[in-house]
Amino acid sequence: MSKYFTNIYDTVSTLWTGMQITWRHMMNIKRDNVTLQYPEERWPRPERNIGFEHVDYNVIRSRLHVDIDDCIGCKKCERACPVNCIKIDTIKAPNRGEDIPEIKHTGITSNDTSKAMVVSRFTIDMSECCYCNLCTYPCPEDCIFMVGGPNNEKHNIDYEFSEFDRNDLIYQFSKSITPEQKEALQPPKKPEVKA
Amino acid sequence: MGIVHGDQMILNIGPQHPSTHGVLRLEVKTDGEIVSEVKPYLGYLHRCFEKHCENVTYEQVVPYTDRCDYLAAMNSNFGYVVAMEELMEIKVPERVDYIRVIMGELNRVASHLLALGVYGLDVGAFTPFLYMLRDRERILDMFEYTCGARLLYNYMWVGGVSHDLPKDFVQICLDFLDYFEPQISEYNELLTYNKIFIERTADVGVLPADVAVSFGVTGPNLRGSGVKWDVRKDEPYSIYDRFDFDVPTGTGEFGTVGDCFDRYWVRMLEVKESVKILRQALKDIPDGDVHQAIPKKIRPPKGSVYRRTESPRGDLGYYIVSDGTPVATRLKMRSPAFTALSVLDEISRGWMISDVIAILGSLDIVLGEIDR
Repeated sequence: MSKYFTNIYDTVSTLWTGMQITWRHMMNIKRDNVTLQYPEERWPRPERNIGFEHVDYNVIRSRLHVDIDDCIGCKKCERACPVNCIKIDTIKAPNRGEDIPEIKHTGITSNDTSKAMVVSRFTIDMSECCYCNLCTYPCPEDCIFMVGGPNNEKHNIDYEFSEFDRNDLIYQFSKSITPEQKEALQPPKKPEVKA
Repeated sequence: MGIVHGDQMILNIGPQHPSTHGVLRLEVKTDGEIVSEVKPYLGYLHRCFEKHCENVTYEQVVPYTDRCDYLAAMNSNFGYVVAMEELMEIKVPERVDYIRVIMGELNRVASHLLALGVYGLDVGAFTPFLYMLRDRERILDMFEYTCGARLLYNYMWVGGVSHDLPKDFVQICLDFLDYFEPQISEYNELLTYNKIFIERTADVGVLPADVAVSFGVTGPNLRGSGVKWDVRKDEPYSIYDRFDFDVPTGTGEFGTVGDCFDRYWVRMLEVKESVKILRQALKDIPDGDVHQAIPKKIRPPKGSVYRRTESPRGDLGYYIVSDGTPVATRLKMRSPAFTALSVLDEISRGWMISDVIAILGSLDIVLGEIDR
């Protein structure tokens, strides 16, 4: 009979001891011994060094980036993509090589090529991208590239692409352009010939 | 599975089970703990590789081949580009050949290190796994230095490679080999000659040579059974005929020829041979332009080609049918891991459930390649 009560006492007392430890920890929470609330706060990114200098890398495959001011709208990258994650729409520019200030379109690229096309849409869906780097090679103006490595000076290396909304993974590189402005860029329709 | 008698039981292992090396389901018919039949179920990782290849251009197939054998993606690329070059009759510059051999052999070392480490994990040894992954990490760092990616490289192209070797690569690689060679004997002390490991693997899951040949098993699994067959030696592709290396075979050191230990041991010896090839290739590598022979537009003539290469898992064959357009009419991949898995039922009958895990680990399958 006494054993029965001893068992109950042991159960409760050891449970109480355990709970005391838990509570003590709960009361003495320190800033650096609990889980980080990840999206709001994050650990500082460690310096990336595995023994090689950044500039010596052939390429670092991080995220894709487009210098849209240099893009001539040739769609070579769109064709090279094995998973069709690059989408480009173009409109023929009214005057080749001329700036259009209303839509912030520059006529000349940094390689002195005059643009014949206005890029009205340039999106890359990074959730579909397979990081094969095939789109960067055919570009005649070197304006689409993986950031980091030799392109370090153009754009910082970035690793965290996570987003709350899936649509935020579709990167928009083209300048914003309203439907009316788009309409104005279309070549004037030929007057219909009356029969 | 047939009729299940009163004292028999059907046990499902997988699809999510750490010992099945991916998403594989094994239906095991057991009598007590003795296994009487094993039936693998595939298709959990099927991605329509071959159908995709009929819809994308030839250069866009290369990233898809990466994703088949993801542990040895360089060797997957290698097989495809060698087949394509044979079809298009392209002669690649000498430097490209050397770079490909270096990358292929480095990836073979990386793949075997993972296979050996995980095999130790399967039979209960945790420490060797960490040691081997530590050294594999250095190989992956070298790959990242070269082509930017650590696992899925898209490095070898038809007619060349995407990037030349970066500055000091040869020296970095030689430094790694100097560091790595003594490590092999450390692995041996740690795992190979461990009494428990030998007890778990020797005499278990014996795959006789005639069974292996009739099932079409290739690679280290076949060589573990004592058959001296290596595509690099017997049907040389690229420049493998220039290198001096041996083809290790299983000798039944602690048990019967063709047991789990032999398959493990052949892989360990192959790592040594790869190091030998690497040293020769790094010594003779010539200068040159790696982009010289890359065709502007890949449009092979009408016809077909079958070329097999030696991937870390065995004969990796590509059969490509072309009708003269930039898109393949048919592309078939002969996967070595698939045939290795097909022999599982034959060699695991009569063993215990824990031995089935050891046998499956010794076959070194990659589910990405089996399901494609």
